[in-house]
Amino acid sequence: MPLKYRILTIVALCLVSVWALFPRNVTSREIGADRLMHDVTSRRVPLRQGLDLKGGTYLALEVNDSAQKIPADKKADAIDRALKTVRSRIEGFGVSESVVQKQGNDRIVVQIPGIQDPERARKLVESQAFLQFKIADKTQALERALPRLDQVIKQRGLTPANDTTAKAAATANKGLQGLLNTDTTKKSDSAKKAGAGVKKDSAAKKDSAAAADSLKIQPGGAFSSLIEQGGMPGEFYVETTKIPTLDRYLADSAVKAAMPPGKDFLPGSDSASLQGKWYRTYYLVDNKEIATGEHLINAQPNQNTLDGTVVEFTMDNIGGRRFRSETGKHIGDYMAIILDNRVMGRPPVIQGAIGTRGQITMGGKSLADAQDLALVLRAGALPVPLRVAEVHSIGPSLGQDSIDKGLRAAIISVALVVVIMLVYYRFSGMLAVGGLVLYMLYTLAALAGFDAVLTLPGIAGFVLSIGMAVDANVLIFERIREELARGKTVRTSIDEGFRHAMPAIVDSNVSTILTASVLYQFGTGPVKGFAVTLIAGIAASLVTSIFVVRTFYLLWLNRSRGAQTLSI
Amino acid sequence: MAMLRILHDTKYDFIKYWKAAALGTIGFIVLGMAILGIHAMRHQSALNYSVEFTGGTVIQLTFKQPPGADVVRAAVDQAGFSGAEVAQFGDPVNYMIKVQPKEGVMAAANADSSGSQIAHILEQRLGSANKVTVARAEAVGPRVGSELKTKAITAILISFIVTLVYLAIRFEWRFGVAATIATMHDILTTLAFLAMMRLEISLTVVAAILTVIGYSLNDTIIIFDRVRENLRKQRKESLRDVLNRSINETLPRSVLTHATVLAATLALLMFAGEVIRPFSWIMAFGVFTGTFSSIYVAGAILLWIEHKWPRTPESESKGTSRALAEGRRRERPAPVTTR
Repeated sequence: MPLKYRILTIVALCLVSVWALFPRNVTSREIGADRLMHDVTSRRVPLRQGLDLKGGTYLALEVNDSAQKIPADKKADAIDRALKTVRSRIEGFGVSESVVQKQGNDRIVVQIPGIQDPERARKLVESQAFLQFKIADKTQALERALPRLDQVIKQRGLTPANDTTAKAAATANKGLQGLLNTDTTKKSDSAKKAGAGVKKDSAAKKDSAAAADSLKIQPGGAFSSLIEQGGMPGEFYVETTKIPTLDRYLADSAVKAAMPPGKDFLPGSDSASLQGKWYRTYYLVDNKEIATGEHLINAQPNQNTLDGTVVEFTMDNIGGRRFRSETGKHIGDYMAIILDNRVMGRPPVIQGAIGTRGQITMGGKSLADAQDLALVLRAGALPVPLRVAEVHSIGPSLGQDSIDKGLRAAIISVALVVVIMLVYYRFSGMLAVGGLVLYMLYTLAALAGFDAVLTLPGIAGFVLSIGMAVDANVLIFERIREELARGKTVRTSIDEGFRHAMPAIVDSNVSTILTASVLYQFGTGPVKGFAVTLIAGIAASLVTSIFVVRTFYLLWLNRSRGAQTLSI
Repeated sequence: MAMLRILHDTKYDFIKYWKAAALGTIGFIVLGMAILGIHAMRHQSALNYSVEFTGGTVIQLTFKQPPGADVVRAAVDQAGFSGAEVAQFGDPVNYMIKVQPKEGVMAAANADSSGSQIAHILEQRLGSANKVTVARAEAVGPRVGSELKTKAITAILISFIVTLVYLAIRFEWRFGVAATIATMHDILTTLAFLAMMRLEISLTVVAAILTVIGYSLNDTIIIFDRVRENLRKQRKESLRDVLNRSINETLPRSVLTHATVLAATLALLMFAGEVIRPFSWIMAFGVFTGTFSSIYVAGAILLWIEHKWPRTPESESKGTSRALAEGRRRERPAPVTTR
């Protein structure tokens, strides 16, 4: 290659490297003190700092197969699809420097630098975000099934988790009814529409002490004492202390069989406190959904005075058409919006056919919760439920300290290497040091270019590579010395030196690259970062020692034509 | 112009001392393994695995003033983590507490709470004058541990195979086998070193061991490259003499490269802080074991293989010379322009 092109290549490489490393505006969304996201723009070198340097949250996710066994091959496929969803959720979380990677065949590793709220991150990735719309039952199916359920529980000899009297619950029921009836006209509206439900409601009001009776069941029945009639058809209240008992009953296969066919009994997202007791809502809904979140294209958090915090969603045309025709069939019914088997808010009455737009009411939840829900809805549902296998929360104080120490070690080791090279090789050592400067520039640029994450072991690898980078130079210089000792001219010695050193340089570096690749392939987080730094370092070292230093020599030979001696 | 030369044109008979070297290194490995055995009897596991492997919780506390290890230990005991390991970490104001997993407790959920629990008790004991902050609270499930272990071992085994194949292609199978055995030797001596130093095996340490393997291999290949070249030039010389000559010829390079790497390693060891220290120790040791194994393990094994399965002219023409011829073709010098 003519000298002119050599120099051009080196200058071009330098320009590209400087461009890659030039401080630029990096916009990242970060969560401020008010728990809301803000766009923060800062001007800095675009090198990503790993978790260990910046601090943050580390999550490892696995397929949760506790509910049903998933074969290994399906698991790998599911992880691939889940990866996309998790990535878009995490990116939406507001951290531009987050890392979402597949690890092995059955794991997803999530690193969110700067976020010190592992609980929130955990909820965000664990929630499956499977959105369904189902019609709430208004045929009193559960009420009719209650005698059978009580009997089944008696026969099976199931015992409650704790003992609470039906009476206390019944009085509370009255209170709850009162609370709900004072609410709005909408409620009485719905009660009218519910028909039979109205009678039940008034019956309960008339005889509050025997509320259970109004449900046409023997008082004190094991199952019926757990639940209270809610304010709308298909709605029930369960005292929070009784939920473990209810869960125990529902887990029994005979009880499951006795539940109304074609219906699901699902917990709601709301709970209410009354007379010092907490109640959770439950809903009986058709188990066939009228629509899912599959066709959802957008979701936005909002707050309004009427419904409090809401998430407004939009469906695409296909989903909208289907939704319109399905809701058209169910005018006057209550539509439960179900997220991950939990009924969100109170099911609203379908006033008319609903098209592409709708909203999920979140009651008293904060806007941050609505933001997260909108985010997971936008990102789509997870194909399989995930479980968090590992959580690390890393303080940033460790990070800053480590960066400082790492940088100090890097500067000192560069200084030591420079001194050794200058003392031993003099002028040629100076050329090698020039190469070393370019080596550091190229390596850092390569790291920025690969979008590599700088970790603490990564910094250590970089420092170590500075020591190793001069190895190729040393090999070449020793060969040149040998050639000079044989009495060859300076120019021939340089040519021969580079030529003879080549096989050793190639073989030794290729074998190291192979080892580093194995590390990259099978390593995890920090080890991977280390491998990337190592590979980038070797590549840069090959370029500088073979190409750049050679060019320096050619330049020197041109300047001092007919040089008889070489300082090496 | 005068050159600064060290160990130039030496004629040391390195191979002569192979018996002493073999005894020395076997002794070192046996001693290391014996220490591992003692550890295995005293504690549950032979090696000191980090929480990444065993599972559990790591809590790092930073104090305003040095609290004294016994105070920290007592607070940890009071919090109900009596089996925990308490260690000062770097400065006297930093403490690392490692809590082994409790049965039936989901470690992940409790990492932050156990950290704040311990910090809370310490705050009560020390008063407001000495503020405690939880710098880090990590939890790892033990299942993750076994997976990481298998991965590290798989990575090492695969790197063996890759090395063997690469050297068999570029040199000859004898060289590949010798280099791989030298690498195994390095892993054994590094393990012995780990046992003697009682270093904790973390992912970073695994990375360091793999770097040592790469570095030692590098060194072996530089010497083997000389052997390959000298074998072509001097067909009359015995392999033993060729080996000795090659080691002597590459000696200046070895000394200089080891010096620069050791300089970088020492800088890390002294200035890069506590987190990187185990990594630096292993690298520092790696420089020595790598140099040693290149001469006395790779070289000696190569001689032994030569003795057992001598090269025939055909195998030579197939192996070494072919690789060399290839090398020649590839590394033709670039035309020099004189403008």
